[in-house]
Amino acid sequence: MNKFSALVLAVLSGSAAAQTPATNPMPDGSRDMYAGLGLVSAARYEGAEHSRRRALPLLQVQWSNGVFVSGMNAGMHLSQDPTLEYGPLAELQPRRDESGDSGGVDGLTARYSIVAMPMAASSSNRLLGVSPVSTRLLGGGFLNYYLAPEWRLTSSLLYGAGNNRHGARVDLGLQRLALQVGAHHRVSVSAGLSFANADYNAAFFGVDEFDSLRSGKPVYRPGSGLKDGHLGLRWNWDLTPSWMLTTNLQVKRLAGDARRSPLVERPTNTAVSAAFAYRF
Amino acid sequence: MNTARHLIVSCILSLGACAQAHAADWVGYRDAYRAMVVFEKYGGPKNYLQNHLQVVPLEKGVALDGLQLTLAGKANQVNLGLDPLGRTAFPLLKAAYDENAALYLDRKIGAFSVRPRVTLAPQADGVYDTAQLRAGCEQALGFARYADASLRARQCGGVRFVFARRAGESGLRLHRAEGGDQALAPVHGAAFEGEPDAGFPTVVYRFAGAERAQLISANPPLAIVPLFE
Repeated sequence: MNKFSALVLAVLSGSAAAQTPATNPMPDGSRDMYAGLGLVSAARYEGAEHSRRRALPLLQVQWSNGVFVSGMNAGMHLSQDPTLEYGPLAELQPRRDESGDSGGVDGLTARYSIVAMPMAASSSNRLLGVSPVSTRLLGGGFLNYYLAPEWRLTSSLLYGAGNNRHGARVDLGLQRLALQVGAHHRVSVSAGLSFANADYNAAFFGVDEFDSLRSGKPVYRPGSGLKDGHLGLRWNWDLTPSWMLTTNLQVKRLAGDARRSPLVERPTNTAVSAAFAYRF
Repeated sequence: MNTARHLIVSCILSLGACAQAHAADWVGYRDAYRAMVVFEKYGGPKNYLQNHLQVVPLEKGVALDGLQLTLAGKANQVNLGLDPLGRTAFPLLKAAYDENAALYLDRKIGAFSVRPRVTLAPQADGVYDTAQLRAGCEQALGFARYADASLRARQCGGVRFVFARRAGESGLRLHRAEGGDQALAPVHGAAFEGEPDAGFPTVVYRFAGAERAQLISANPPLAIVPLFE
């Protein structure tokens, strides 16, 4: 019954599965906005051995008409049923080039590196010689169902990834929302699976003839299927009615053809982020 | 690079100072609004129901008598008196939402949270027809199923009358249509399931078939709680 247990900041998720904030009923014409600055340490790209630390802006906004922006995702809640959420969803998938994934909520190519990572340019970089994957706006939808007010089944379908724009990804997950662990501390946990079609896997894990010639790696044509499994832990600390410290840990393990890719240096990646957010 | 570090350090320092300044515990109005507006938006029958915001101390054994909740905005302050169960009528105010107001208690009880509580509305004359109580319970169950999918298999089992401690005797009696009155003795218990304070005089009336009767209360109950089984 406690609906504000559903408060979850789904931000800083350039590499995370698409997440939608819980529906947020509010007076007509109002909005609920978080903005702040975060620090994230995440793999240079999916399957990279080395991590990169960078600062990223944090943003989550919801409007009374159901429209929301959450990190790299945007969408609209269309359901009036408190146990069901659905609607259109878009995700900005950042460019990936030899240096890894680019980041930034409001920047397509901007990087906010505050710690130099020499590995990005080292000879062991498996992306050397591999064509960049351009920034793409993915479109699709989401469907979430509350088993109970604190338990949410999530799903989303996004299409348009990769240079040929035919890559599709389906994310399925289960979330335990906002477990109160003391005054102003809430913890959420999640687990999920991601599935991808052959075009998606080819874009991010495949090596075509041209890239094979340039990089010296064998040609690799992955098929469709399970792409990864992931676990998430989020801790929100409400410091004041307006300020929040949000910390997120996500562990992802590649699977199937994605895991067997010659571009994958390490199948398991961990991403950690922390950010201060102000609630406007 | 240095600018970014300075920004982060400044942010941490200012937040630390801010957190100390707000040592008194609070709950964000937006979060409370979000919890409470679900009932307002519910389109099913609810004429027998009422919805309150309830203060729930995180520490057990805290007395709520005489407490007052204050809605503190930038321009306005609204005082909300709590009943002995820690409940109050919650104002749904766009202005308070937009300025991200906070809710404070006028006495320190440690950390607390708030939650909605849906109960049956009391009658001014203290007379409750059992059919009306059953209808009220069904309305409450309809809302509970709407808000919480895990309750969809539950059924209405009865209602619990909760009285003030000072009332001593509940003064509740069952009057059957065919005649004969039966006084219903209160037992001490919690007002709501799972609450630690089991010191309230309570009377549980369970629905029995198509029994037509009236419950007549000499003292106004604090709450009439629907029971789902």
